[in-house]
Amino acid sequence: MQSTPLLTARGLTKRFGATKALTDVDFDIHAGERVAIMGENGAGKSTLMKLIAGVYTPDAGSLTLGGDAYAPATPTDAIRAGVSTVYQEPSGFSHLTVLENLFMGRQTTRALGWLDKKSMGREAGELLARLQLPTRLLKRRMGDLSLADQQQVLIARAVANEARVLILDEPTSILTDTESERLFQLVDQLSAAGTAVCYITHRFDELERVADRFVVLRDGQNSGETDDPDREGLLRMMGSVSSVTVGADGGLVAAEDAVPSAIAEGEGGTEGEGGVLTGSGVADAAAATSAPVLVVDALSSEGIFRDISFAVRPGQITGLYGLVGAGRSELALAICGELPIDAGTIAFQGKPYRPHSSRTALEQGIAYLPEDRKTQGIFPHLSVGDNLSAAALRGVSRAGFVSTAGERDLVATWMDRLSIKAETPASPITSLSGGNQQKVLLARLMATNPQLLILDEPTRGIDVGTKREIHRRIRELAATGIAVLLISSEMAELLELSDTVHVLHEGRLTWSAVGSEITETAILRAATGAAA
Amino acid sequence: MTTLTDSPGRGASTPPPAPTTPTGGAGLSLYRVVHLVQVWLLPALLVVEFVAFSLLSPFFLTPQNLTNVAVNAADLALIAAGLTLVILMGGIDVSTGFAVGMLSWVVASLMAAGQPPIVVFLAALAGGAVVGLLNGMLTARLAIPSIVATLGTSALFQTGLFALWNSRDIFSTPVFPFLSGGARLGELPILVLIVLAVYLVLHLVLTRTTFGRSIYAIGSNVEAAKLSGINVRRVRVIGSVILGLLIGVAACTYLARVGVVQASSGGELTMLAIASVVVGGTSILGGEGSVLRTLGGVVFIVVLDNGIVLAGVPSLWNGLIVGFVILVAVSINGLAVIINARKKRSL
Repeated sequence: MQSTPLLTARGLTKRFGATKALTDVDFDIHAGERVAIMGENGAGKSTLMKLIAGVYTPDAGSLTLGGDAYAPATPTDAIRAGVSTVYQEPSGFSHLTVLENLFMGRQTTRALGWLDKKSMGREAGELLARLQLPTRLLKRRMGDLSLADQQQVLIARAVANEARVLILDEPTSILTDTESERLFQLVDQLSAAGTAVCYITHRFDELERVADRFVVLRDGQNSGETDDPDREGLLRMMGSVSSVTVGADGGLVAAEDAVPSAIAEGEGGTEGEGGVLTGSGVADAAAATSAPVLVVDALSSEGIFRDISFAVRPGQITGLYGLVGAGRSELALAICGELPIDAGTIAFQGKPYRPHSSRTALEQGIAYLPEDRKTQGIFPHLSVGDNLSAAALRGVSRAGFVSTAGERDLVATWMDRLSIKAETPASPITSLSGGNQQKVLLARLMATNPQLLILDEPTRGIDVGTKREIHRRIRELAATGIAVLLISSEMAELLELSDTVHVLHEGRLTWSAVGSEITETAILRAATGAAA
Repeated sequence: MTTLTDSPGRGASTPPPAPTTPTGGAGLSLYRVVHLVQVWLLPALLVVEFVAFSLLSPFFLTPQNLTNVAVNAADLALIAAGLTLVILMGGIDVSTGFAVGMLSWVVASLMAAGQPPIVVFLAALAGGAVVGLLNGMLTARLAIPSIVATLGTSALFQTGLFALWNSRDIFSTPVFPFLSGGARLGELPILVLIVLAVYLVLHLVLTRTTFGRSIYAIGSNVEAAKLSGINVRRVRVIGSVILGLLIGVAACTYLARVGVVQASSGGELTMLAIASVVVGGTSILGGEGSVLRTLGGVVFIVVLDNGIVLAGVPSLWNGLIVGFVILVAVSINGLAVIINARKKRSL
């Protein structure tokens, strides 16, 4: 490789509140080089790219571009300096024509700001011809084009903006194989012309095709880099739990988590099931063989997931892992009746079950904790008590009238059982910490007395202490015989809690394992499609 | 009273507890100020209004005048009560005025045709229910934004009234004698007692029933409401139908007050009803407010109308003051939203 890199990053650090998204990360890319940025969910890939693209500014560290200091404060700064980004979902102006999209923000004008359409059309025609894209696209409305064409227009816009560095964020996740191949050719062409291409991807099978070098991030830090697209080596670098040991009874435990959870358990009293040190070993023989409460058979939802089969047993925690876009939350929403099912069947408690809405799901005993606490979970105007009782009011009502005493008892019971820290039940929900808000939402579901609890990212954005507490609560709930389906992007959480793990990759169930078969490498291999 | 019913979303007189988020600084104190204004704006306005008009006119603060004001406020009060449910869910209805006008034509015609009062009254209720069902279905089932849907139905009702009126004013006596101010129980007109009873019932429905709690939940976060098992569409439709039924009653009291149906009868009530709810302090974005607050808003609007006439002030001032107060009330809401957003960003 050439001696001086086009873009360098040194010691980049970025915090979001209490979370350290990126710690002391270094990164180089040369002109004409193609680099793939890899890592599991939350490893810091997107944060690193957004720092380079001016979306975020670093808390520490520095960047250079073409040998000069480079500190973009906004995406516009970055684009002016020659760093353009094309995001996963095309983000053009869908009501405007391709021509207008290409020149947005830098229109050629004549006197009095009159647009010079002729010269813009000529320039754009030349650009598309150079990139071997059909020039007839120019007059079409952006929104009428296929996603693949829109993406190529956006890449063309980056070229028109004289991009020296092009960042592509999972560009092929929405493309078919032929469309992907067209994209790869375009990328080849650009890199041959000297553009440096940073490429975020989860797909192992396209690595050799799109990148000369692979940079791996892990837990927000550099984990290594290589020119060798060997899957095993890359998977090893991506793994986030430093060492995984086998517990006394064959259960798995993440070594770095074992001691603190044991302490947390000690504080919480010894009445727990004592399964912490054995991690997934909680699965006692009875639970593992009991009749499943939920059986999903060959379930499909057009364009989202296909042919998914698995079972969830009472008293067990069933983990569901998948990278962003794999269809985990969508699968959960389908089970709750909030997403249409095109094929396949679901049986719940031994009977055929066809959900119509989360209301019917709740009535039957399936409760769903949504992924986004703010937009799908809390009622921001209401009190802690009202938030907690929202789903269970019918149980404490007679003829539609809510029993004041009944509701008070319900709220008090659950605030106590999940030790929710609020001044009074009348305090606004927004005065609580994120962790306590999450516990209120968990209590809201538990108050409906569910048989199956689907938890979608139950500890996202929650501080470490409360996270451990929520983990303990989940285990306690499972121990009372409730079936738990746990969706998590966090490997450590999944390994610590799950008795069984299923992995989704691009809408298909690629791998399932029980107890000691669950290993981080195996999960990652299945999630990235490397298992096939 | 238990602590549960004192939540910030409900209760007319309870100021929401100040947030305890430890963000501190200017943002928090500004937030407090905004909250204080939100809670105390209406009571302050009412005090100013009553004091000013008492000083300006010796006739204002007499039982006779105040009773008159209360009787004349009945139709507005009934509409505003129902409208509060719709606005609490984050919706709006701009068709209420002409719905009242059109139904009052139906009522007057039936009376003129000599139908028994009870039949006329039930017809008014049925007509109101249809109006509510139509608006509710358009917004809840067809997912048309309520402002657009009711703008459309408002045009329908207005044109319907004009066609039915057909250049002939219809004069009518009240459907029931007690719908005019004459019938009294002791000193109080029965009509005023009926209106107060409606408010009390709706207040209890909002604070004590699962239906009422669903209304607040939908207005606060519709996605969360759906995932909490609330039948959002049904609650929305029922809310619209309740508003429709009250519009049916209002058509009867409107006719009893005015005595005649003309080409544009009722039209002025649309804006006054929205103004009553908003000035009362119910958030135009939903999730927050109460019917008791709306009652205060109605009192403010009708007293202003009455007092300005008595004080001999040009009635142009009436519109000016109402407009200004609406803008203040709505800006306070907007300000609260902006401050909340800023607080979040600083976290």
